[in-house]
Amino acid sequence: MLDFDLFEQTYEKCLKCNACVVNCPVSNTTLDFGGPKHLGPELKRLVNQQQTIDDKRIELCTLCGNCDMSCPENVHVSTLTAYAKAIHSDQSGTKFRDFVLSNAETVGKLASSFGPITNLAMGMKPVRKVMEMVMDIPAERQFPKYRFKNFKRIYHKKTAGTKRKVAYFVGCYATYNAPEVAESFIKVMKYNGIEVAVPDQKCCGVPMFANGQMTQGLKNANYNINSLLEYTRQGYDVVLTCTSCTMALKKEYVSFLKSAGAKELASHVYDADEYLRLLKDSGELNMDLSPMKEKAGYYAPCHMKAQGIGNPAMDILELIPGYEIQDVGAGCCGQCGTFGFKKEKYDVSMRIGKPMAEAVKEVNADYTVTECGMCKNQLDQLTDKVVKHPMQILAEAYDSYR
Amino acid sequence: MFDVVVIGQGLSGLLSAISAKEQGFRTALVSIGSGKIIQSTGVMDLIPGSHGGLKEWMEFHQLTVGQKQGAIDAVEQFKELTERLGYPYSGDPEKPVQIVTGAGHVKTTTLYPQTIKPVPERGHVVVVGFQGISDFQPAYVAGNLHKHRPDLIIDTMKISLGKHSQRTMTQLDAARLLDQEEVRNECLTQIKQQLTEKNIRRPSLFIFPASLGIENWRKTVEQFTRELGTAVTEAPGMPPNATAIRLNERLKKQAVRLGIRFYSDTTVTGFKADGQMIQSLMIKTVNQVTELQGKQFVLATGGILGGGLEATPSGLKETALGLKTDEEGALLNCPVNLHPVGAANGLQNTQYGITGGIFSIVSAYQTINQVCQLASVEGGTRSA
Repeated sequence: MLDFDLFEQTYEKCLKCNACVVNCPVSNTTLDFGGPKHLGPELKRLVNQQQTIDDKRIELCTLCGNCDMSCPENVHVSTLTAYAKAIHSDQSGTKFRDFVLSNAETVGKLASSFGPITNLAMGMKPVRKVMEMVMDIPAERQFPKYRFKNFKRIYHKKTAGTKRKVAYFVGCYATYNAPEVAESFIKVMKYNGIEVAVPDQKCCGVPMFANGQMTQGLKNANYNINSLLEYTRQGYDVVLTCTSCTMALKKEYVSFLKSAGAKELASHVYDADEYLRLLKDSGELNMDLSPMKEKAGYYAPCHMKAQGIGNPAMDILELIPGYEIQDVGAGCCGQCGTFGFKKEKYDVSMRIGKPMAEAVKEVNADYTVTECGMCKNQLDQLTDKVVKHPMQILAEAYDSYR
Repeated sequence: MFDVVVIGQGLSGLLSAISAKEQGFRTALVSIGSGKIIQSTGVMDLIPGSHGGLKEWMEFHQLTVGQKQGAIDAVEQFKELTERLGYPYSGDPEKPVQIVTGAGHVKTTTLYPQTIKPVPERGHVVVVGFQGISDFQPAYVAGNLHKHRPDLIIDTMKISLGKHSQRTMTQLDAARLLDQEEVRNECLTQIKQQLTEKNIRRPSLFIFPASLGIENWRKTVEQFTRELGTAVTEAPGMPPNATAIRLNERLKKQAVRLGIRFYSDTTVTGFKADGQMIQSLMIKTVNQVTELQGKQFVLATGGILGGGLEATPSGLKETALGLKTDEEGALLNCPVNLHPVGAANGLQNTQYGITGGIFSIVSAYQTINQVCQLASVEGGTRSA
């Protein structure tokens, strides 16, 4: 039996107030989910120092982290549910599909090597029908595109020589699916006189944690911690363009590993917009931004909200003269990383996403801005608006300045 | 740098932040947890647990007669806001009404959403419960209600929502189910059937748990009223009450759409001050401590129940900023740009640990008007 050494005592403060259940996007959509309170602190209280219980109902947890954000007693609910997921997949086994989905990096490497073919095949109905039958991946679900010219083929810089030095944790999405986001980030940094190094890195582990692949996820976590600490100890700041990877480096590594290294790394990690805001506050930000007469709707990913950093993307984009941006005020998108790619969860995923699609429609901006690639996937499927990353807009504003 | 930084996202905090932002001030809201509205009934009392009116309320909070109009104006402002947000509140502080709770207790309240109707002295009411919702037991409600309303004829029934749940169902779960038309139709069929079986004709009110829809509360109330041919009410009781969740969700959505910056899941660990002025708050985010600068600060952390005050063997402790308080929890030597609202004003403003809602509303609006005056004087231009 898997014996996770989980020194997580915060559950003792749980008052069963239901704040997490009230704010859980899955609980609010289906009665099939056991809920964060029952499968987090209550389950932990029940089994602590007793026999481990494998509870199947945990499958519907997406690890969005809204439970952590809503808890008035600071119980680390999502840490507890992540372990419940790990126990479940250890004891009940992992579907081949979930194993594949959790290895976003391997999939990205393979899929992007055959980029054009992958995209073509993924868009073909017969192929998708087979995938649905063999893999339980619903035929209706849109997939992000894979790029042959992925970011690894484009950018090879391992060191930076400027005063401020950035170590960029690219993440699987910007590497294999959206190298334009990574390139925009490099450009934005360049306009600010900052060189960007890309350290050796593996998938942050979030898709693994979400699929109960805790052992593999923690292996990746340790690899990334060791690799990135070499940089932070030389004065680099670790900056990311994906809010889920940022959450992993800031919070999850610390919660799961509780190691000194994880804590040390966490204190050097910044979301890209948060980092630019920091430059702005210290008077270092290049303000040569060309005016843009556009109105954008902002969609806040759960893993951005959970960082407790306000709304840095809007703080930065509002600096562009004439640029209008409004938060659409929506909850979880329902894609939730790999969750929305699973046949048995597809319906729940769509139902969670519906209010988001309505919010985007209500605000009716020219296009939608969000940091998260997976949220973008759901926005692409459920709305008719183009979706952009904040770095793409900023790069454009810098490029057209004269 | 923010014009206004609000600590706490309960009723006082959200109203303060929304009001400040609507007046054009750059506003941040710092919070741990999702705020205490979700634990409430969503109805706004004058003095909780008391039948007192506006006069008694003013005495309770030691307000002068001159402050009465200000209080009434603040209540009007709240009603105007909730109307705009699609969840209007009814009621008049000068004319409190009596409503029934989820325990069958009759309580006096002042502002209530349109899903609630006052409970009559006489006539015929039917209490309807849902199977699986253990927090609302029709027989128990009827027994208690009978003590308060001996002249009322009370019938009870239980119906099924037709859905199996993998967890303990709450009133909120029921409310989300009743957002769906098929569930509403199924429920109405069962109610009508039981009315026939029990030979009940034309009751004057149906009493439900606080579950009559969330997004589609208006549709639910209209359909139930139409098809049952008489008024329906929610009886708010054990949280989560739909009455409160609707208010909470709408206030938050409004705050986010206005552009208030939410620093969620953060703990205030201290502050930096220049003499009697707070310069910035130190907030602990996931694994970093960051500094949040502001001109004016609003303390909306609540009393003992809200977590803003902690009762310790050596007396009361203010939890967010670690400020000294008197034995009632009111701040001593309050920094000049820190403004406590609602229950954060100390225990003399709470009964059974809560302010009853009206005090929070009045306190939030009045405080924020002063804050905004200060912010414009000191801050120069408004940066919306």
